[in-house]
Parts: sequence; structure tokens; C-alpha cells
Amino acid sequence: MTTEPTNITLRLFGPLMTALGRKEIGLAWAEGTVRDALLSFVEEHGASARPFLFDSQGNLWKSLIVLVNDEPVVDLHTAPVKAGDTISILLPLAGGSQASIAARRVGPTALGRFR
Amino acid sequence: MTAFTEEQIERYSRHIILPEVGGAGQRALLEARVLLIGAGGLGSPVGLYLAAAGVGKLGVVDSDNVELSNLQRQVLHSTADLGRPKCLSAKETMEALNPDVEVVPHHVRLTAQNALDIISDYDVVADGSDNFATRFLVNDACVMAAKPLSHAGILRFEGQLTTILPGRGPCYRCLYPEPPPPGMVPSCQEAGILGATAGVVGLLQATDVLKLLLGIGEPLAGRLLLFNALDMTFKEVRIARDPGCPVCGDRPLITSLVDYEEACALRAGDAVPREVVP
Repeated sequence: MTTEPTNITLRLFGPLMTALGRKEIGLAWAEGTVRDALLSFVEEHGASARPFLFDSQGNLWKSLIVLVNDEPVVDLHTAPVKAGDTISILLPLAGGSQASIAARRVGPTALGRFR
Repeated sequence: MTAFTEEQIERYSRHIILPEVGGAGQRALLEARVLLIGAGGLGSPVGLYLAAAGVGKLGVVDSDNVELSNLQRQVLHSTADLGRPKCLSAKETMEALNPDVEVVPHHVRLTAQNALDIISDYDVVADGSDNFATRFLVNDACVMAAKPLSHAGILRFEGQLTTILPGRGPCYRCLYPEPPPPGMVPSCQEAGILGATAGVVGLLQATDVLKLLLGIGEPLAGRLLLFNALDMTFKEVRIARDPGCPVCGDRPLITSLVDYEEACALRAGDAVPREVVP
């Protein structure tokens, strides 16, 4: 007899993975939209996850790619998520040796501790 | 059509014996023109391999000078180049590797004013730039000029790449309609980069550019390839063109290039708190 899944898996990439120190996070889940799942995610994982997904007005950033079971989601507000699904959250990467605009404002990087 | 010299036949023999390349393909490479945006961690492997392959004209856009912290991954430059413009160092390295190649240095920052003019001289563009403002500018300019674009981004142990064929598949804005808010995605200067990760991802770009020039295989269009060096895994994500895309959609809203640096900075009001990005 198989048991019905009761949670979803979030797969994290790039700076979000670095910030939370984890590649995968499980969430208890019944049903809802992708936006609901992301809200639930930031409620459980708090301040460190929220700014990656939502702006200060609570709107989802347009600079995200969200996949459900490896398929890109077009409308995060309506696409459904079922228990057992895997949500992947991708952020764009640039690279480079230039400091980001924000970093130029706040100053030294992690290298400071070696100096 | 000029015949190959004896030296060229020997230099390119491993290409020429590939049925998918042959003499005609090698000649196409020698007549091809590719623009590298950035001569850094990505631009270095792309430039070296395209020069070695005999791509006839390589433009290099870079306004920076070589710094010591670049040399852990930016293999176009050497210690003797410290303080010199990267585009000149790149030119010397690539032309020394292959005298068949003409390298055109563009010692400028790519802007809304000069982008279309510079891009117009090339067949394919490879983006290895170091900031989101330039990445959106390059995407929009390539869509407007209908130039194929190899896009890649890297950070720490990860890379992402895709190939944009304007009019035939999704563009960068179909993936990411807007740049991330300042501070959300740190640069390699802030978060670090394993040098070899840049090499892997840059060589994937070089491979797809060569395939485009040769007209062989399946380009990485409509697909985003994710590389994780720590896990040594590749993951492919299918991406579709967005009919509502502001630049390549059915009714584009962006029909001329804007000042992208300003547009990105304007979003600083929503900047991600620095402490969440180690």
C-alpha cells in the first residue's frame, strides 16, 4: 500500500542556496498555488529567504524562474502545487569582478577577515 | 575563395577531418566574426578556444584593466599584463595563439549609445559580462539586431547558460523579465568563484558558438543549462518564448535601448539586505 505524500520539496540554487546553506527543504503541504507555497516557505524560513522572493510590498520578484517538477511556471499566482511536487527556485547569475551596486554602498567583502 | 595554406591545413587538420566541419566548415570559421562582451572569467576560455579554432575576427569589449585577483581564472591575461587594458592583453594572447585571427579591441564600456553600432560588425555575440545592466543591454541589442547570443552567468561553484536565437526562441528577458534587485545576487568579487567553474561554463559557450558558426548540431536554444561543480551535475530546463516578452514578444514595449545601469539602480529601494548574502 502506498501512502499519499504530505509534503513538497523546494530545491534551491545560487545565492538562495548559499544564504540558507541548504540545497533542499521539505515543507508540509496540502494544496495551493506556487505563490502560496513560496509564502509558506518564507514563513517557515523567515527573514533570510523572504527578500529573495518578495519585494517590500509582498509582490514576487520578476527576476525568478520557478519550476514545478522541472517545468517552468508561467503564472506563479495561479499554478497549482500538489503534495509530492518539487519546486525549484532559480535566480539569474552574472559573475564578474565588479561589486554589485548594493555592495559598493556597504563596503568590504568577506575577504576583510583575512587582512 | 582563397585556398588554405599548408600551415593552415596542418593547424586545422583535426577540424578538417571531422565530416561535420571539413574544409568548408573551417573556411566558414575563418570568415566568421564573433564579439566577446568581457575578457574575464568567461571571455577568457571563449576567446582562447575561438582563436585556436580559427574564428577570423574576434571583437573584445572590455573597459577594465588586468588586476591580480583576475588571474586565478582569467587565463587570457598573465602576470606581466597587470595594469594593462584587458582588451589589449586579450588581443595579444589570442593573436599569438593564432596569427590567422584578427582581434579588434573595444576599450569601452558597452552602453545604450554604442551597443548596436559595435554589435553590427559581428555574426554572433558571447556575453561574459560582469553585471546585470550589461546583460540586459546585450540581450536587448542582440534581439533588436537579430544576432545570435550565447549567454552565461557564473557564481561560486555554479553556472547557467543558454543560447538566444532572436525570432526563433526565448530571449534572456523571457527567462528573467527584470534584473534582480541590487544585492540579491552578489558578484564573484563578493561571493567568490572557483576559477575552473568559469572555464567549464565558458567552454560550453565556445562550443555552442562554434556549432552556430558551423551550422551543426542542436544549439542550446530554448534550454537553460545549469552546472553545479560541487555536485558535478548538469540540469537542463526547457524554456519557452514569452509572447508577452517586452523585447522579443508579439507586441514589444522596448524598441530602443535605454540606460540600463540607471534602470537597475532605480530598484535599489528594494535592495536585499546585505547580511543575507554571505
